[in-house]
Amino acid sequence: MERSFAKEIESLRLGDGDIFRGEGILAVTKAILQSGVSYVGGYQGAPVSHLVDVLVQAQDMLDDLGIHLETCTNEASAAALLGASIHYPARGCVTWKAIVGTNVASDALSNLASPGVTGGALIVVGEDYGEGASVIQERSHAYAMKSSIWLLDPRPDLPTITRCVEEGFELSEATNTPVMLELRIRACHVTGEFPAKNNKPAKVSRNSRLPGPSAFNYDRLAHPPATFMQEKLKLEQRLPAARKFILERGLNETMPGDLSEIGIVVQGGLYNALNRALMNLDLADAFGNSRVPTLVLNVTYPLVPEQLVQFCAGKRAVLMVEEGSPEYIEQALHTALRRADVNTRVHGKGMLPAAGEYSIEALTRGLLEFVKAEQPQINVSAADTAFSSALDNRKTAQAVIGTDLPPRPPTFCTGCPERPVFTAIKLVEREIGKVHVAADIGCHALATFAPFSLGHSILGYGMSLASAAGVGPLMNTRSLSIMGDGGFWHNGVLSGVASSMFNRGDGVLVIMKNGYTSATGVQYIPSSAGNRVDGLDSGADIETTVKALGVKWVKRIRTYSLGTMREALRDALTTTTKGLKIILAEGECMLARQRRLRTEEAKALKAGERVLRTRFGIDDAVCTGDHSCIRLSGCPSLTIKPNPDPLRTDPVASVNSGCVGCGHCGEVAHAAVLCPSFYKTEIVHNPGWWDRFSDRLHRAVIGWLGGNKAAPAPMPAAGE
Amino acid sequence: MTATRPLCILIAAMGGEGGGVLTGWIVDAAERAGYPVQSTSIPGVAQRTGATTYYIEIWPEKTTQRPVMCLNPMPGQVDVMIASEFVEAGRAIANGFVSPDRTLLIASTHRIFAVAEKSAMGDGRYDTGKLFRAAKDHARRTILFDMDQAAKDSGSILNAVLLGALSGSGVLPLPASAFEDGIRIEGKAVESNLAGFRFGLSHGQDEIEARAAVLSSLPPAAAVPALADRIARLPLAVQKFAAEGIKRLVDYQGVTYARLYLDRLDMIAKLGDEMLANETARHLALRMSFEDVIRVAQLKLKPERFAAIEREQRVKPGQPYTVAEFLKPGVEEIASLLPPSLARRVIGFSKRKGWTDKLHLAMTVQSNRIGGYLKLRMLAGLRFWRPRSARYAEEQARIEDWLDLIRRAAALDLNLAREIVDCARLIKGYGDTFKRGAGNFDRIRDHVILPALEQRLAPTVAVNALVQARTAALADPEGQSLGNMLADFEASLRPAIPQAAE
Repeated sequence: MERSFAKEIESLRLGDGDIFRGEGILAVTKAILQSGVSYVGGYQGAPVSHLVDVLVQAQDMLDDLGIHLETCTNEASAAALLGASIHYPARGCVTWKAIVGTNVASDALSNLASPGVTGGALIVVGEDYGEGASVIQERSHAYAMKSSIWLLDPRPDLPTITRCVEEGFELSEATNTPVMLELRIRACHVTGEFPAKNNKPAKVSRNSRLPGPSAFNYDRLAHPPATFMQEKLKLEQRLPAARKFILERGLNETMPGDLSEIGIVVQGGLYNALNRALMNLDLADAFGNSRVPTLVLNVTYPLVPEQLVQFCAGKRAVLMVEEGSPEYIEQALHTALRRADVNTRVHGKGMLPAAGEYSIEALTRGLLEFVKAEQPQINVSAADTAFSSALDNRKTAQAVIGTDLPPRPPTFCTGCPERPVFTAIKLVEREIGKVHVAADIGCHALATFAPFSLGHSILGYGMSLASAAGVGPLMNTRSLSIMGDGGFWHNGVLSGVASSMFNRGDGVLVIMKNGYTSATGVQYIPSSAGNRVDGLDSGADIETTVKALGVKWVKRIRTYSLGTMREALRDALTTTTKGLKIILAEGECMLARQRRLRTEEAKALKAGERVLRTRFGIDDAVCTGDHSCIRLSGCPSLTIKPNPDPLRTDPVASVNSGCVGCGHCGEVAHAAVLCPSFYKTEIVHNPGWWDRFSDRLHRAVIGWLGGNKAAPAPMPAAGE
Repeated sequence: MTATRPLCILIAAMGGEGGGVLTGWIVDAAERAGYPVQSTSIPGVAQRTGATTYYIEIWPEKTTQRPVMCLNPMPGQVDVMIASEFVEAGRAIANGFVSPDRTLLIASTHRIFAVAEKSAMGDGRYDTGKLFRAAKDHARRTILFDMDQAAKDSGSILNAVLLGALSGSGVLPLPASAFEDGIRIEGKAVESNLAGFRFGLSHGQDEIEARAAVLSSLPPAAAVPALADRIARLPLAVQKFAAEGIKRLVDYQGVTYARLYLDRLDMIAKLGDEMLANETARHLALRMSFEDVIRVAQLKLKPERFAAIEREQRVKPGQPYTVAEFLKPGVEEIASLLPPSLARRVIGFSKRKGWTDKLHLAMTVQSNRIGGYLKLRMLAGLRFWRPRSARYAEEQARIEDWLDLIRRAAALDLNLAREIVDCARLIKGYGDTFKRGAGNFDRIRDHVILPALEQRLAPTVAVNALVQARTAALADPEGQSLGNMLADFEASLRPAIPQAAE
């Protein structure tokens, strides 16, 4: 990984009396260090990647504290890492992106939660929900309920988030139960401050090791018959203990208000947006002084029935503010009130949307309805007018701007090595017809957007080949699966390749070998050129691995060699040879490569060394504005500009200064036989004597031939 | 309860542009000045050039008590909307984040085209005229100018110009020095960032309008004195394109060829419709300077081209560099240089052998190195031969046919004639692009133009169909849209036929 986190690491060193300033996820990292953890692990994914990324670069600090850091190969291995806390008084924290990561981790999580833990076990999940999310929209809440894992959803300000981390470990230990802390996307990136404390070395650590294993204890195994006893333990001991802890520590917060006939119960993570919505109705101020009594659930599982009943009793109605579906908390609230025979009306879904992020807009709309229904004496007409005028303004703006505002989804970076593979697929499809393309998670999923629009399904990380296993046998044409090297090591090697070999599959798999899990922030994987621990090759090689699994047909191809890639794809898709065919598409992630090269190039230039800079360009006069080249590439640096020719109107293609000289546009023009308007320049910086001599010679000869001054003199045309 | 509300700033940017840097500058300046501030973002995969946003709230009073600040913006409650590109500003307006009673809109008017705009077969650019109107109508105040250009002019980055504009607007309770200090403390590219900041600052204080790009003025027709008087005899409105056309065709082939252009144009001008003549002048010049291997070589050798390359690629005077051209003429392109009868036989043979799509003469030519220069010079020198080539004969026949269609249509309906002129825009380029365009033109000719000229179609119906057909022809490279459109069009005519027979 090339990005430097030096500044962030400094803030992790702060101690008593210092004020920490930074992003939410970094504050979580700091709170973990303040909690005396023995080990940390995780699998990368937005929005929580930074937790592990920063620690990777802070090895000396981890050494001082004796903390073990495990950069796991998937979420299942991260969840299993928490197994260290089952027997030993060691606190551990792992992190991943939810919902997908929790799905992958769920087997280990069940087997962890059943025997329970001795040392505090904290799972930090980045709840990738709402605007900016990149995964299916589901809730982590279901996992907490089904496995009896306590779920924290803190108010999105740094003091509350860090408090929940620290007390989360205590809650875990007091109840022998793993604790999950969920942070939404924006909460991970929210900036703020909190009073720092000294980092705390753990009692059990790499610097202070256990003498040996604990005594054999069958009851700590997730194995029958112990599992039957463990289920009872969860309900009869751990659950009541958790509820007691939540009440004693005041983890949930009750905010007073003078409108005692009504109340609001809200997930902690939504508190700030709720307060703004209340401000819009003139029912609160910006410092959280509200007229509506509010119960803020920083712990959303388990709920404490007596707390809910106490809050609701005597009220005419409450509004349950719970994002996403199903509305587990709302249902539990109904049950709690019913069992206590409290007749307070519960509003929730209906007034608030069933699906989607609870923005201030959605909450304001719901609150207006709630107050009108339950407190009609309160005049909200000013708020009503302001709200509808804002929405009317949006409607008129949309009418002016029209529906044709071009969308701007993410796309491959300039010079990305994965782009040429999709160009090759498009070109091959022109020859042999369309093929079923099983897409996967990773940067290559961006090929599902224009101009490639390739991919029939996405079934999860590393799942493409497995998802095509049932398609191939039912179709006349072979199917094509795309997988990144990240996805390959995450699980594609087993669920895809091994399974295909086991079942004598006959598909084609393209593995993008760019050397990192790039979409999540360019982290190392087992086949990366370096390893974070010692900088040496990790030793895992994809080609060797698939050959060891029995794959015979394997080709390694440099992705930028478009012609070769096209031939290999055509061959793989049409050959009579049966069995899995794998193309290793090799090309280092350009983001990582440029980070490294830019520094090297700058250094070389400064030192006066010869540097050759390659760029591509397009002749305005030759380009006819058809843009075939763009339809086969989509490179951000290959764009359009107004046609400088006064006779032409269609914009011409143009290469902007972002070009990194990967050469793909030239390859496309060549392979697809497009127009001859592309050219490549190679500019020599710090030229040597030979460069200068030969350049002068060529210029002089061409000048003598008449080339540098004017076009060749018009020769008489035939018939003149 | 206090009635004070935070200042809300929403930044729309594209992943990788450094919107986080701009956010950081604003947050740090507020923090150092003692104003409670909070920012957040949704980076994720949007890192990769997709549209994304950053959101900041600043409490406008100095206080030690921390207000509850929000993580997402609310329509109607944004004080400053900053957009690093103009369509992103449009997206913010369409999402309701720019309101007439509250919002200052600071946006750069330059365009970074989205894939949908770039990949259109003709001109797919979004009409930003609508955006200027929407910005004026929906913002309380606007600061709009080409900040990309400003950044280039001041040797800075766009974010520094945006920061300057924000500071200059005076909306935040922070003096310019607060931001300048931040840039200095950060210590990266301090001088250039400060230059950009000051540029933005002055524009923020004194709002200026974005200026539409002015088309470069046309060169005088005097380039070919022999034909100057003939140009002067054309209607005034046609002279500009005619002069440009002559200049192009003299360069392309010679003075005689340019005369042929004028002869053809005169015939259309005689029909008496200036608009028709003007558009014909433009398209005819383009059609007569059709692209063949010889033309490409000619264009590649132009000295002004090398000057442009040196400018664009920032080559310093005397710095060694090479230019490599990627040429890949196919069998048909090479054979079309032969005399028509021979060319027919060669192409026919290649087609039978299945070579036409496969056989290409791939060349990488270094045009500013002696060997490459000579190769291109030789090709360009074939200009004298061009009138004897098969391609020349074919093109002249096509052009004559097109002109004939225009003349016949003009006798029926001028609008129809104008639409036929405009259909020429479908024919352009080389290889597949050319074949596709010419094929589309022929389909439209057979299915719409000819029936109209034979008066089997009402001119108004044909005019509408031509507009639709042109759009459809440019909708997809596979020609599916055009096929569907023409099929639908003919189906819509069918019920009328029995009636006509009665």
